[in-house]
Amino acid sequence: MLHTYMDATDTTSLQKGSAELLVLAVLDGPARHGYELAQIIETRSDGRLRFQAATLYPLLYKLEKRGLVAGKWVEKPGERRRRFYRLTPAGKTMLRERRKLWRAFLEALDQVAAVRHA
Amino acid sequence: MDWRAYVRQRLPALDIPGSREAEIVEELALQLEAAHDRALSAGASGDEAFARAASEVPDWQAFADALLHAERPVAARLPSAVRLSADPPVPGAARGAVMQDLLQDIRYAVRSFLRAPRFTIPAVLALALGVGATSAIFSVVRGVMLEPLPYASPDRIVSIWEANVSLNQTRNVVSAANFLAWKERNRSFEYLGLTGPSRLIFILDGQPHEVSGLIASSEVFAALGVQPAMGRTYTAEEDLEGNAGVIMISHEFWRSGLGGRPDILGTTVVANGRPFEVIGVMPPRFTIEGQRADFYRTYAWTLEALRSATGRGTSHAIARLRDGVTLAQAQDEMRTIAAVLEKEEPRRNTGWSVAVVPIHEITTETIRPALLILAGAVLLVLLIACVNVANLLLARSTVRQRELGLRTALGAGRSRLLRQMLTESLLLSVIGGVAGIALAAAFHRGLLALVADRIPVPRLDQVTLDFTVVGFTMALSLGTGLLFGLVPALMATAMANDALREGGRHGSGPRSRRALGTLVVAEVALSLVLLAGAGLLIRSFVKLQSIDPGFRAEGVFTARVNAPSARYPTGGDAERFFSRALEAIRQIPAVQSAAGISFLPLAGPGMGTSFYRTDLPIPADGERPGTEVRPVTPNYFRTMGIPHLAGRDFTEADSADAPLVAVVSEGLVRRMYPGESPLGKRLQVAIGRAEGMDVEIVGVVGDVRFASLDAETRPAVYIPLPQLSIGLVTFVVRTGMEPLTLTSSVSAAVRSLDPEVPLADVRTMEAVVDATLARPRVVAVLLSAFAALALLLAGVGIYGVMAYSVAQRTQELGVRMALGATPASVFRLVLGQSLRLVLAGVALGLVAAAGLTRLLEALLYDTAPLDPWTFGATALLLVLVSMLASYVPARRGTRIAPVEALRAD
Repeated sequence: MLHTYMDATDTTSLQKGSAELLVLAVLDGPARHGYELAQIIETRSDGRLRFQAATLYPLLYKLEKRGLVAGKWVEKPGERRRRFYRLTPAGKTMLRERRKLWRAFLEALDQVAAVRHA
Repeated sequence: MDWRAYVRQRLPALDIPGSREAEIVEELALQLEAAHDRALSAGASGDEAFARAASEVPDWQAFADALLHAERPVAARLPSAVRLSADPPVPGAARGAVMQDLLQDIRYAVRSFLRAPRFTIPAVLALALGVGATSAIFSVVRGVMLEPLPYASPDRIVSIWEANVSLNQTRNVVSAANFLAWKERNRSFEYLGLTGPSRLIFILDGQPHEVSGLIASSEVFAALGVQPAMGRTYTAEEDLEGNAGVIMISHEFWRSGLGGRPDILGTTVVANGRPFEVIGVMPPRFTIEGQRADFYRTYAWTLEALRSATGRGTSHAIARLRDGVTLAQAQDEMRTIAAVLEKEEPRRNTGWSVAVVPIHEITTETIRPALLILAGAVLLVLLIACVNVANLLLARSTVRQRELGLRTALGAGRSRLLRQMLTESLLLSVIGGVAGIALAAAFHRGLLALVADRIPVPRLDQVTLDFTVVGFTMALSLGTGLLFGLVPALMATAMANDALREGGRHGSGPRSRRALGTLVVAEVALSLVLLAGAGLLIRSFVKLQSIDPGFRAEGVFTARVNAPSARYPTGGDAERFFSRALEAIRQIPAVQSAAGISFLPLAGPGMGTSFYRTDLPIPADGERPGTEVRPVTPNYFRTMGIPHLAGRDFTEADSADAPLVAVVSEGLVRRMYPGESPLGKRLQVAIGRAEGMDVEIVGVVGDVRFASLDAETRPAVYIPLPQLSIGLVTFVVRTGMEPLTLTSSVSAAVRSLDPEVPLADVRTMEAVVDATLARPRVVAVLLSAFAALALLLAGVGIYGVMAYSVAQRTQELGVRMALGATPASVFRLVLGQSLRLVLAGVALGLVAAAGLTRLLEALLYDTAPLDPWTFGATALLLVLVSMLASYVPARRGTRIAPVEALRAD
């Protein structure tokens, strides 16, 4: 299982950047609440990526502070209110840039280290 | 399962708005609940599901840190040192961040002060009182004792007196003939001059006024190395007889007495009926040896006149040491000269030597013991104030350990917390210091008003609030704040984690509790020293006040009259004028009796000489007993209420050409005529004329205190004024009315005989007596004030510590009460704890006081420095006040509800 908290040997920017990319990518679409977001990441990665609350919320709040995501309390009938997050236009731009960067990064990795199966 | 409560319990408090924090808690609770429910629905047991949810946040402190990281801008979180290296190198921005940090710290400190007035008010008050009192007293000490005298190289100037060890006269006026011999024989002095007190009658605005000044030879000014502010000093030629018509005046007399006329130099003023040309105006506030003088005039003596002068006059010498000559060398040489003079002139000089004293010592020696005591006392007050502040800071820091622990948990570095605590201490010290300066100014004014003219403190009029002293005390207060802020801060931050772990219940470690106890003991001990000192001075003062001066002072009016020699050339002329004046005064309706004396008792120096019985073998020179001599008019003893014990009073028949007679004091009779009647016996008294006076004793009166209330009574010989007239008399007038209401009628009576003779020193006899008590009174009042301050500070300190201790022991006391302890036993427990500390302090204080009160000995009258009554009463008072200070906290201890105590967190 790959944790978003990595060993000290890993670069913090990679860790940070990948976590941010994951969150931004999942929020590119309908608004999600925090738990849902964690579930989606876990499901889509077949349980290999798991965000603990301890990691997720500080990250979400930071993205919100930077204006990349916007949170909003929504009350649905018969349910407790939850806070839903969606990408802001700035977030969308940032996501595009990050995808481009990661694509280039992965290609470079592949060329050099043959990360992907042939 | 209430997940919100779960989160709230574990999440350390975040320094962010409460509403935002609530949102975070809510959101997190939802997530944990969902994780828990999902695990359950996946078939996990209740415990497993809980563990799954709990694993979402494995480390709450790290989590809180991360949250804070996300929620708040970087600048506010990091210690400034880290930030400076992490931020891009924009100097302005870094400085801005530091300033912002400082402002935040200050804001936080102010808020925390406002929240804890029980801490802030006593702490600021203690600092302010300590700084204020110390600054005021030390300004005086510096101004009076440490400031160099306004002369050229003042450390080279000495004051020279004759000294007679066997007569206990260490600063006696100088015989003019001896002075001349010193002048001719010494090699130690560059200049050697003579000076003494003088009084002149000036006509100012048409009214005669007696003005005090100095008579001084020209070399006095050369020795001092001073020049007038305007004009010149007189020359050696002008010193001589026949050239007496020049005078120098003080700046103050020029401004107030002579209207500050710019053309004053060269003008002629009339004094004692003779013209004087004003040749100089001295610098403002100039004095010689601290003696205020409004004029300086010449002796107008020739060397022949000096050589043939008899007696010792009223002058002493002032000299400047020759370059390369040390004080010790000068002292040696002068003693050698005196020994030679003793052989050459045994009659005048047997037993007499010379005292050469630095002028600074002479100027300050009368006030020095009192000032040193007060300086010591006020330092003790400052020390107690500092201990008090330390106490309060320490107690407060232990209370705040939980808060500090929390902030450490939230990622505040130790240095960050230390900085915050230091900011608080410094701010406290600054507030205390500023309040202290305000108090210092008030104390200073109060002190000057208290001393005013009551005690002759040299240069007191020049003492201003000294900002070096204020700076020093401020620094001391800052230092105290820093030291006692820093140590608890270090202790607190070191223990912060423990504090959290224990849930903040036992915030005070035994270490800090011991420290607090030690401070209480110190405070009590220091206070006891001050209280004991004040107690001794008060006891001594009460004894002084109850001394019988030997006369009945109440209802007596006194006024001094000087018959100027220009118009009353002989003693007989002066005496006739006085006798006519008394005749006129007796005609005033309210006057019961009136008389005169040269040199009123307790009103300054008088006349003294040696004497012997003529019916016994004549004692050798230097072995003759000494006596006070006072010329008096008939009725003096009755007017003053001095008991008449035997023989008769003087009458009008005891005139200048009648047989010489004397009335003597009881003490003289006891000493010279034990077991026999002195009446009709004869004494040889060395006064009045070269061969002395051979008088017959015609009466005996009670002893009177002449020099001071606490000095031993000396034998006294009274001589009829016509037989020993010196042109100076103090009228004493007994009346049934308030004495001072006689002023204008007595003045008119004198003026009707001579419009140019003023009354001087118009006072009631009670005021005369009271003035001699001024110094002990002022010292006792000041020391008592300091002791009261110390008592107050100690009380506040003990209250603070006990209140804190009870708050700390809430849980323990609650458990005790739950287990059946009665309120009374809890009360005793708390009070007992306080009593143990106080008794330890009292014991320590008694030992310290026993060592220190010896320093007071010079100021005590008929009171032992170890007076057991004073020590006992002081200790008791301190214990009582301490118990009073512990009473409120102890009562609070008894009112702790057991349940509440157990809940206390």
